[in-house]
Amino acid sequence: MLIPALFFAGVALYMVLWNIYISFTNWSIFNPKPKFAGLSTYTALFHDMIFKLGITHSAIITAVVLVVGTVLGILFAGGLYFLKSNVQRSVYLSILLYPMTISSASAGLIAEFLYMRQIGIDWLLSMLHLPAINWLGTSLSSQLSVSLIEIWALTGLGTLFYLAAFLNIPKDIIEAARIDGASSIKILFKIIIPNSLSGFIIASSLLFLFSFKVFTVPYFLGGGFTNYYLTTATMYIYNAWFGEHFAEASADAVIITAIVTAVVVSYATYLLRKISRG
Amino acid sequence: MPNEFRLRAIRYAALQVLLGVVVILWLVPLYVALIGGVKTNYEATTTPIFIPPSIPEVSSYSYAWSQLHLAFVNSLIIGLAAAVISAFLGAMAGYEFYLISQKHFKVSTIVFTLISFAMFIPVQSLLVPLMLVEVKYLHGINTYYGPLFAYLIFYLPMGAMLMSIFAPGIPRYLIEAARIDGASDWTIFRKVALPILMPGIISTFIFAFVLIWNNFFLAFILNPAPAWRLVPYIENTYIGGYGILYNKALATAVLASIPPLVIFIFLGRYFIRGLASLGGGAKGI
Repeated sequence: MLIPALFFAGVALYMVLWNIYISFTNWSIFNPKPKFAGLSTYTALFHDMIFKLGITHSAIITAVVLVVGTVLGILFAGGLYFLKSNVQRSVYLSILLYPMTISSASAGLIAEFLYMRQIGIDWLLSMLHLPAINWLGTSLSSQLSVSLIEIWALTGLGTLFYLAAFLNIPKDIIEAARIDGASSIKILFKIIIPNSLSGFIIASSLLFLFSFKVFTVPYFLGGGFTNYYLTTATMYIYNAWFGEHFAEASADAVIITAIVTAVVVSYATYLLRKISRG
Repeated sequence: MPNEFRLRAIRYAALQVLLGVVVILWLVPLYVALIGGVKTNYEATTTPIFIPPSIPEVSSYSYAWSQLHLAFVNSLIIGLAAAVISAFLGAMAGYEFYLISQKHFKVSTIVFTLISFAMFIPVQSLLVPLMLVEVKYLHGINTYYGPLFAYLIFYLPMGAMLMSIFAPGIPRYLIEAARIDGASDWTIFRKVALPILMPGIISTFIFAFVLIWNNFFLAFILNPAPAWRLVPYIENTYIGGYGILYNKALATAVLASIPPLVIFIFLGRYFIRGLASLGGGAKGI
């Protein structure tokens, strides 16, 4: 009964191997009959400015989302943990999670609007007598603007797994600390967070895996594929493929797959051990 | 100790205020889209995006719907089919995985890693081989089965993974008892496992449907012809170029988000349980 699922997972694996094969050829619009080309595609890739931009942008966005998502996730989960009403807690958690159900295409359309000059978020800032932000004006600010949308979309995910880990800690330990006169903040930082390693591992792997594949939001914000301020590692694959540089597209895909695989393997083995422990 | 009591009350009030601000911030994008869609295009591009329109008007919604309704039907057909298959075949895989995981730890680790791998690999990274298969062998561009095949590559393994998290909820003794009575594996799955797994299957179905509905890249590359377009493709037609129709773009974003949002509002428990199983389930949430 495992066969259908394994078949499709096998197709994915087969396509990855196929990518590896293509990446060692010189297949492109200029060489419609691919020949073995060794590592030359990879060398060309590392000299390609747009590839370097894409991988740098993806790295920046992933790092920002990972750090901010973790910090906010822990703080929000801590706040929700101390709420007295269960209903309020689950309503608030749902509000933090609803962006997971909004497509990145819709988020991209809304983001274009939020980042409009003068009448977007800038208007709120001017009401508070704060300077306007050059949202999509520089390379770095573009990455931060994309990250902000991803943080909105993914922080709920972090919050969920931290909150789950927090609620898993036996109540009597926390009660004991409270009787000893420890404040909630002290309990959070001295007892709850240090005992939430599993939440940390799950939340950060998922934040990484979801943010590293960022594609749609920068594509929408950049108005297409030709805006190199807003290109990412996954967008490079599409660009190269569209220009019929198939070997380059595959080589980039292989690099991305290798990075993702490293995270997935450690995540999956950890998760499996966690389940079998019950 | 009235003083300490008062301090605690103040702290709790501060917590409430802070969390209230966070929750409002998180709702801002939805609010902006909702009010932006009922502005005229002149108002949408000249008045602050946080201020509701002087007179709400729905013409941008009727325009957006006229562009979107065909894609809605296409997305529903493909999305429901892919999500049902992912949930049901995923349940079979999860059940079988549960059976072998007790005996063969190594095999089950490899299986679990493989299905997690297929689930998390960025869709874009399979672009070159996927398009070769879809164009050359399946002739799946601008069809229903082309995207269906592509969705199943990513979302059937996801269904299998979520269901392997739910499957240990089946009591072992029930399976053993059915086996002693001489029931076949398939009968045990259908009669014993399936009813117990139903809430998990619904979670998986809902989670998969929302993700498939929202998947931009596959919709973008596989079904570009007007009659075959899917919902995210239509959203893409509002970007770039000159004179973006902001009010219509926002109306489209809202309409495209209605099915997932309605599901989330009414069946959010199932969606969150599906999400939580990515971390091995979350007790108490």
